[in-house]
Amino acid sequence: VVDQIRLWQIENERMKATPGFLFKEFENQKEYEGCAKYADEIGVLVWKSDAKRMFFVTRHEQLRDHIKSRKAK
Amino acid sequence: MPRAIRGVLVECDPSIKSIIVKIDSEEHAYVVEELDDQTLVIQENMLPLLKARLDDALKETQQPADDSGSD
Repeated sequence: VVDQIRLWQIENERMKATPGFLFKEFENQKEYEGCAKYADEIGVLVWKSDAKRMFFVTRHEQLRDHIKSRKAK
Repeated sequence: MPRAIRGVLVECDPSIKSIIVKIDSEEHAYVVEELDDQTLVIQENMLPLLKARLDDALKETQQPADDSGSD
């Protein structure tokens, strides 16, 4: 029983929480890839899924501006 | 335009994640998006409450059925 408790405690500590923003519903694969690449380059990307076309970033302001400027072109 | 949704990315063991999903299934107040086996996005303001609920759930799991006490 003691071992079991210890295992749960370890698992609990293993939980990692990162505040930020989930980006989803990209129009197409190209837009998704471009944004994910940019997010990675500026160092805000923490998680992504190519299959789901979603990614998670710690900050979104710079990425928003980047998306807007791409759209304006 | 893609959507940006504020939240907290939670990375944990699949066993912990399944407990979180179970807690959420009762109220649908915590989970913004399930991402994979060990990753989900949680409502930022609900995180402290979720942690408390998770601790309770884990305590229940820890306690064996017999509470005859130790000698």
